[in-house]
Amino acid sequence: MKIADSSTSAVSLVESSLKRIEETKDYNIFTYVDKNRALKKAKEIDEKIKRGETVGRLAGVPFALKANFLSKGRPADASAKILTEFISPIDSTTTEKLEAEGAICVGCVNLDAFAHGSSTENSYYGPTSNAFDKTRVAGGSSGGSAVAVALGCVEFATGSDTGGSIRQPAAFNGVFGIKPTYGTISRYGVVAMASSLDVIGFFTKAAEDLDILMSITAGQDPKDQTTLPDFYGKNDTPLNKKKIGFIKEFMESSALNPEIKASLESKLNEAKENGYEIVELSMPTLEYALAAYYIIQPAEVASNLSRYDGVRYGFRSSNVKSLDDLFANTRDEGFMRENKRRIMIGNFVLSSGFYDAYFLKAAKVRTLIIDEFNKAFESVDAILSPVSPNLAFKIGEKTSDPVLMYLEDVMSVPVNLAGIPAVAFPTGKSKDGLPLGLQLLGPRRSDKNLIKLAGKLA
Amino acid sequence: MEITDKDINHLADLSNTSLSSEEKEALKQDLGNILKYIGKLDELNTDGVEPTYQVFEMENVWRNDEIAAQDANREELLNLTKEEIENQIKVPKVL
Amino acid sequence: MTEEKNQKYQITIGIECHVQLNTKTKLFSEVDNDARGKEPNSCVSPVDYALPGMLPRLNGEAVKTAIRAGAAMRAKINPMSRFDRKHYFYPDSPKGYQITQFYHPIIGEGSIILPSGKKIRIEHAHLEGDAGKLSHFDTYSLVDLNRVDTPLLEIVSMPDISSAEEARDYCKELWRSMIYANVTNGDLYNGNMRFDVNISLKKPEDKKLGTRAEIKNLNSFRSIERAVLYEYERQSKILDSGEKVVQETRGWSDATGKTTSQRSKEEAQDYRYMPEPDLPPLNLAKDFIDAEYSKCPKLPNDYRTEFKDIIPSDTLEILLDYPELVKVLSEINVANKPIGYISNLFASVLLAEENQSLLNDQLPTSAQLTELAEMKEKKELSSTSAKEVFVKLFEPKHASKSPRELAKELNLIQENDTGALEKIVDDVLANPATKKAQEDYKAGQEKVLGFLVGQVMKESKGKANPGAVSEILKNKLK
Repeated sequence: MKIADSSTSAVSLVESSLKRIEETKDYNIFTYVDKNRALKKAKEIDEKIKRGETVGRLAGVPFALKANFLSKGRPADASAKILTEFISPIDSTTTEKLEAEGAICVGCVNLDAFAHGSSTENSYYGPTSNAFDKTRVAGGSSGGSAVAVALGCVEFATGSDTGGSIRQPAAFNGVFGIKPTYGTISRYGVVAMASSLDVIGFFTKAAEDLDILMSITAGQDPKDQTTLPDFYGKNDTPLNKKKIGFIKEFMESSALNPEIKASLESKLNEAKENGYEIVELSMPTLEYALAAYYIIQPAEVASNLSRYDGVRYGFRSSNVKSLDDLFANTRDEGFMRENKRRIMIGNFVLSSGFYDAYFLKAAKVRTLIIDEFNKAFESVDAILSPVSPNLAFKIGEKTSDPVLMYLEDVMSVPVNLAGIPAVAFPTGKSKDGLPLGLQLLGPRRSDKNLIKLAGKLA
Repeated sequence: MEITDKDINHLADLSNTSLSSEEKEALKQDLGNILKYIGKLDELNTDGVEPTYQVFEMENVWRNDEIAAQDANREELLNLTKEEIENQIKVPKVL
Repeated sequence: MTEEKNQKYQITIGIECHVQLNTKTKLFSEVDNDARGKEPNSCVSPVDYALPGMLPRLNGEAVKTAIRAGAAMRAKINPMSRFDRKHYFYPDSPKGYQITQFYHPIIGEGSIILPSGKKIRIEHAHLEGDAGKLSHFDTYSLVDLNRVDTPLLEIVSMPDISSAEEARDYCKELWRSMIYANVTNGDLYNGNMRFDVNISLKKPEDKKLGTRAEIKNLNSFRSIERAVLYEYERQSKILDSGEKVVQETRGWSDATGKTTSQRSKEEAQDYRYMPEPDLPPLNLAKDFIDAEYSKCPKLPNDYRTEFKDIIPSDTLEILLDYPELVKVLSEINVANKPIGYISNLFASVLLAEENQSLLNDQLPTSAQLTELAEMKEKKELSSTSAKEVFVKLFEPKHASKSPRELAKELNLIQENDTGALEKIVDDVLANPATKKAQEDYKAGQEKVLGFLVGQVMKESKGKANPGAVSEILKNKLK
């Protein structure tokens, strides 16, 4: 990451960022560009540098916020119509920490509305194109963040990962992405999707940059009582078995793209050459992870989206004769089809008579999945796995069939159900020139060592 | 599992969302397929398994009972609403 | 409810009570929990306003307060408890759900003992956030979120209550227990405690309970009693006519004295309870629970035992509404007599309409009250003067004085010195105006003695001790 100093000015870093944003307009990456404020902040930082004052570990580094992050004075609409016109009066803890270190927000980037999706096609602002093929999807939900970094609009971008929303777009666009241990980074001020699964993470071009960002943003936050006591760089879980595992069921999956499979095999060989023992792991319960995820996640989504009613902020339907209209029409006009699907599925699995059969059952399956990972990490340091069974697919290819789209997440959601960390990293190109990527899974609190290991394997 | 018109209307009510008839039809299809997929869990025996609702080991997290400044004040909050009368939010008459 | 009807139908009542806890800040944010007299929406944090990405921040004091409330119901505290979301759409519920404890409440089984000695079992009690306030106008409604997520303790009784009087007594005893435990301001008028009363009727021979109606949001003991009486009439008429009672929520109007069916938001409501993922569970250590539990002070029933045979129970029941009064009484650990006298002063003087305002002033100390009682006992003060001193003791300028000092200042000490008294008596007897009376007395009309005593009192400006005076007169008129 290039940081402003006596040789490079923050203004020049921001200007080249803004220039790049302009050049890549047709990828539909940014939903909001904060030009003047960014330049103003850059000038201030350059002044400080001239005066020899301390300017922070990210001085002058341009970055993009996934549009579901609240930041004071900027729109935070999560690419959802129902949140249009919502200008945040407050900063998310992450935004605050990054800007305190001198990082400069140049704007907000596209996502699937409320992060509901795996392609950034479910956005009120339309799809974001893949960095390597405009006819293909960026992946999602953090598609804008991944493409912004891949195309060099910014040095890094924030993301949120509920079922793969950081790792899959990272893999689709050939950048690094981290999904930290649940509770590592405060969720305060990030539009909630599914609270027990949501984590905050980042996209960068280099593994060591992830480490810098984590060391700045990780830590307990009184505004999020689910954040873990500080451990990053303090009480990290060591990875010293010199053993890396792979999941038999994934490797043998007929759905797995052969080029991704080949890349996984070659990376495992590299690891072997580097002195790692390779262990085959059988994790039969993971086959049920996606079904459990598509019960727990919609349930929490339905609950978290209950607050969007047009009363206190954001979009309000103009077709309102009664209070019922205010709620029902605002929500009908303000939510995308995919938002509605998840709200309704969520309300179904929570409704009386179905709770035990669906929500409670899924919560029990979640326990089995956690047990399976705990067992796995007794024998290996980390697990190397595909992020998604597919390469970046064509825009529109899967929009008609939600289940087909959900299957995109089949290899990423187990990580969220278990609350463990995972780092996605690029592993080359397919024959059609599309990025290939894999993810490295580790035990809870192994984030820092996992980043190091991913850096070595990349 | 089949989703009937009655189901879809009930779910629309629970979701407090008015839906066009076309959209209801489409959603009936989608939700039916999704429920069919998640029904997969029935294959798995979970007898005697404790459910997991949160993936951390923390307990008894609470704050002190002291008044503190907030990240946004009344004016900043009420500015976000469409209609306001004397510092209160205006909504259509609640029956 | 007449006897005859009582035999026809048995009434079964269970009561849910919402108690607003008196913590400094709200349940999930650090804003002022006491919005009395404050502007609309002036006690609202971004969390209460339910901005996107806001997370609840549990107030530890609310947990401790709940434990003390549990102690006031002699209840079991569950070490393991957690929060859940209860979903419903309403403008007074910004999140679209209420954070409550549906699956694992913090307080388990307990009980409340009525003055009659009957025990009403508590099923459980749980912590939850209150809703905002709506005010309605002709074409619109206004939303004030000041009350959003004020900590509430919902206390759910077993259906052990079997009459309107018992319903009233239960609510009153529960209210007393909560104010003694100091977990709420207990201001009923301002809704600090709100009662939902579930009422069903059945024939004595019937095994299972009848269909119940729930009367929501009652906030005075009288309206609770009246509402139950009305429901008994209403439901028995329905049953008499062979029809069925509908299970529904009903509202009570003090004005009409009737309950009416409410088109309530509960209508066929499915709350879709879900464990709250934004708050870690509670797993309270035994010593933590014990520490709070032990802070619960003496309760009305403890005082009933303490003052049995000392204070007449009807007087005591009046005083029990004022914790500070019974507390000061129990500090007087001398012979029972002064307590009886002082409790009487409290009931007859302090709580008399014209003196109610004194309750806002500093209460005299047990030492002052004891001394006052002793002076009255020794006849150094007439009962009139004693009352005067008692009332004056509430005045800030006298508060620090001893009753004796004050009585001297006010020149109220009674004249018991016979020497001085005889002098006055002689003057009175020497006065021709009393000649007739003296003769009548000697002639055996003892009642005229009162007239003569009166004359002496007048001479002494009321300071003479009437008892002593009549003794002297009797001797002199032998």
